[in-house]
Amino acid sequence: MWIPLAALVVGVLVGAGLPLQIPIFYGRYMSVALLAALDSSFGGLRASMEGKFDNTVFITGFFSNALLAAALTYVGDRLGVELYFAALVAFGLRIFNNLGAIRHALLAAWRRRHR
Amino acid sequence: MRSRSGQIAVALVMVVLGMMLAMQYRVQQRAATDLAHRRTEELVELLRRSESERTRMEQELAELRATVTKLSEGQAAVSALQEELTKAQVLAGLVPVKGPGVVVTMDDSKRPLQKGEDINAFLLHDEDVLKVVNELLAAGAEAMSINGQRLIANTEVRCAGPTISVNRVMTAPPIVIQAVGEPDVLERALRMRGGVVESLSFWGIEVSVRKEAEIAIPAYTGSLKFQFAKVGQAGGR
Repeated sequence: MWIPLAALVVGVLVGAGLPLQIPIFYGRYMSVALLAALDSSFGGLRASMEGKFDNTVFITGFFSNALLAAALTYVGDRLGVELYFAALVAFGLRIFNNLGAIRHALLAAWRRRHR
Repeated sequence: MRSRSGQIAVALVMVVLGMMLAMQYRVQQRAATDLAHRRTEELVELLRRSESERTRMEQELAELRATVTKLSEGQAAVSALQEELTKAQVLAGLVPVKGPGVVVTMDDSKRPLQKGEDINAFLLHDEDVLKVVNELLAAGAEAMSINGQRLIANTEVRCAGPTISVNRVMTAPPIVIQAVGEPDVLERALRMRGGVVESLSFWGIEVSVRKEAEIAIPAYTGSLKFQFAKVGQAGGR
């Protein structure tokens, strides 16, 4: 459990210290990609709690979701279709679903231990 | 997380996620502070520079006009001609005038906007000002100024973003229109049933009309350069 968390901290530090800057223009695509990535991460956490975690599914999902979300937003911007909001709603909903499932799993585990 | 390589892969993914989080955070910080501020500062600087330029040129113009006046007086021209000139100058707005008249003050609606209502209907627009100006002219106003800008033959009254441009000078509500003319006639023309004031108040636009015994209207201070118009034959075809 602590390895992914430590990796996350390392990532934040690297990202904060990196001299690389994303142009503000691309911030919009980055934000959608980030949302997709967060969704995948919470999905992975949920799956591991339910004992259904699959490495390949998790890793491919993480990258393909993030890239697809950014790409779709880009295409949408070119065509004048606000796919940005569609991605926001879709991934937002899924994140909350996953969080709900994680809470349920945690509660169930806690009850099992205290009975 | 059964295998060793699996753990490494997950850790790598988490590193990527962390990096994305941090970078996006930095982009947001920059977007929030940097961009908006720098843009505004640039524009303010630009505005300040052109305003000082305008002031300088206005001074120059005033000096030049004074010279012209001195020269024309020196010639001791025929008094009838002088009189004619004064009339023309009043009409052209080149000299300040005073006399009885009305002061009309107009401002945006103060009424709180209800849901679903269009804010535009409650803001003071160039058309509203033009309607009042037109009504005053029709009622025989002889000279007029809008927020201190003398109304001359080619004065424009036009929306320029949130402001109104009069004589190429931006001005914002409240708009004060001064008009010299018969005060009672001017006031009645505006307050007529179904007239300008009534229709504007319907939208909550604030209009007040005040009669005054003495109003001072400034002269036109802009430039008088004609680039395209040339003098044609008097009484010509």
